[in-house]
Amino acid sequence: MSRYDQMSALGLLAPMLVVLLVVAVFPVLYSFWVSLFDLKLTRPHRVPFVWLANYATVFQDPLFWASVWRTTWFTVISVAAIMVIALLAALLLNEEFRGRRFLSAVLLVPWAIPYVANGLMWKWIYDSGYGALNGLLFQLDFIDKYMVWLGDSEKTLALIANAFVWKEVPLATILILVGLKSIPGDLYSAARVDGANVWRRFVHITLPALRPSFMLVLIYEAMMAIRHFDLFFILTEGGPAEASHVLAWEVYVETFRKLSFGTGSALAYIMAILTFLLAFALIRALGKKL
Amino acid sequence: MARIRLESAGKRYPNGFAALESLSLDIRDKEFVVLLGPSGCGKSTTLNLVAGLEELTSGSLYFDDATMNAVPAHRRDVAMVFQSYALYPHKSVYENIAFGLRMRGHPAGEIEKRVRDAARRLEIEPLLERRPHQLSGGQRQRVALGRALVRQPAVFLMDEPLSNLDAALRIAMRAEIKQLHHTMQTTFVYVTHDQAEALTLADRIVVMRDGVIQQIGSPEAIYDRPRNTFVASFLGNPPINYLEGFLREKENQICFARGALSLILPRQYSERLRGQAGRPVKLGLRAEEVDEHSVPRAGETLHGRVSSVLPVGSDQYLGFEVEGSLLFFRVGRDLRHKEGEHVALSVNVNRAQIFDASTGESLLWDGSA
Ligand SMILES: Nc1ncnc2c1ncn2[C@@H]1O[C@H](COP(=O)(O)OP(=O)(O)OP(=O)(O)O)[C@@H](O)[C@H]1O
Ligand SMILES: [Mg+2]
Repeated sequence: MSRYDQMSALGLLAPMLVVLLVVAVFPVLYSFWVSLFDLKLTRPHRVPFVWLANYATVFQDPLFWASVWRTTWFTVISVAAIMVIALLAALLLNEEFRGRRFLSAVLLVPWAIPYVANGLMWKWIYDSGYGALNGLLFQLDFIDKYMVWLGDSEKTLALIANAFVWKEVPLATILILVGLKSIPGDLYSAARVDGANVWRRFVHITLPALRPSFMLVLIYEAMMAIRHFDLFFILTEGGPAEASHVLAWEVYVETFRKLSFGTGSALAYIMAILTFLLAFALIRALGKKL
Repeated sequence: MARIRLESAGKRYPNGFAALESLSLDIRDKEFVVLLGPSGCGKSTTLNLVAGLEELTSGSLYFDDATMNAVPAHRRDVAMVFQSYALYPHKSVYENIAFGLRMRGHPAGEIEKRVRDAARRLEIEPLLERRPHQLSGGQRQRVALGRALVRQPAVFLMDEPLSNLDAALRIAMRAEIKQLHHTMQTTFVYVTHDQAEALTLADRIVVMRDGVIQQIGSPEAIYDRPRNTFVASFLGNPPINYLEGFLREKENQICFARGALSLILPRQYSERLRGQAGRPVKLGLRAEEVDEHSVPRAGETLHGRVSSVLPVGSDQYLGFEVEGSLLFFRVGRDLRHKEGEHVALSVNVNRAQIFDASTGESLLWDGSA
């Protein structure tokens, strides 16, 4: 590339670089900077530099470890459910049958709904007084009186996970369906002639071919689940008690309710690093076998 | 070991297209049969019916005396080589070859032995640990063959297995496949649209067109006694020449006439052609049926003008204008004709073909293969 080309390339990229610097790089660095101060908006005039003391505070807080555990649990069940349901849905939509197009369109609906609207919808469904879930189960005689759903600390996290899964399945299905469509039909013919029945064709042809799609879904959905905030905000605000107090909620509470920007930033940083490490580990572990 | 019989087999695809209407074919045990025809004539469809990859929509399929219509592919004792090779991309070469044996529950020791034997035989032993994407086209082709032959199946099916190879390799592999058939002693059904491949490999060739069998016969029979102009044109390179004209009888001899041209047809044709004087026919003359060295004799000679000379290494092709038609002949390269020259070429009338001018059916066809 000539010098002139390099200069003009830089010139063309510059506006975007400036935008990225202002909206991404600067906030990232600035929040790390903030995490090194004991910055509380309740006490705006005294902002001592405390090195990594905010991180120490966070790690010593039992609530932090409890939220890490809840986030892990939420992530594992959500992602597992998303993968299984999306695989089944993709396998179904990969077959030729009447009404397939219609079903595909219906399946995409949750994807088109914004997170907040999704949250409000599930809030209504789970409502203990007039919720659709209570209505349905009652009419089907599965329950004999209306239940408190989200208010039951045993069930809260699973119910939120359910709402999250409902929203995430369409995208995961599409990613897996693309993987399915790219498997050459000849491979199935060859396996049939080689004596493999349906199940063995699935195990020996379909599953290995879907590995890249699975990995994509796994990493993407795990990151979405770890960082997920909207449903917790709309449905439970971390409650009842602390039953749905996950890491993302902890960041919010620390920063915007307690107005402790120092520890809030430290928490956000810890979360980002955890997410990054997880993605890295997954790529290392699964990527090798691609 | 199996005889394969298709009886009035029909295949209508779900979109309503009838690829085969009613196809009957009897393949003998240990025979090498080649299905030959242009693209889309239903060769793969026929093969897939035998493999069980497609179901017959009418008619029956038998292996020996057992009806196979309802037997799924994975329960039939067939092996198949695909044009795309269809190697399992996530398995090593070893596992690709072993897969069929594993699926059929052979003991581990035997699998190991058979895979090694097959690999040795195809000279792919050093490749056993590789993945398919690490192989060349020719190597993939061998793995695909290995995967089929390791099973020692009763029926060996191949769908254009050589068409992705370069010309030289293709000819070498033809010889190997022929060898394979000799040693395996099993029934081979081979699909191709390459007439040279069919002529080299087949015990019998089945020429197909639009889902209908045109002719079944040995390579010699198909080449020397084509049933119609379609079969005649499909085999031979350069393709057979046609001259339109009439039959004529004089002094107990039957002639082909066109303008000033008159060729005396051989005596053994008279029985079939007698009493048809005046009938419009097409004379079929293969490119090699000229004898540039013999002295031209009346009734066996074409007079015309050389319109082009195309050397092709070993021989040369001669473009030759006779009575307003352009014919191509293959002659030795020592023949020194120039473009524009008027010459007389002696033709081998004993091998000339006579077809009905409108239907294209051979008038010499006696119903035998
Ligand atoms: N799944 C299908 N649905 C509808 N029509 C099909 C299907 N498969 C093949 N056909 C049609 O059936 C006819 C025969 O197809 P087939 O694959 O047997 O041809 P072929 O002789 O093997 O051709 P080629 O030499 O190109 O492989 C073609 O006209 C093709 O378009
Ligand atoms: Mg084909």
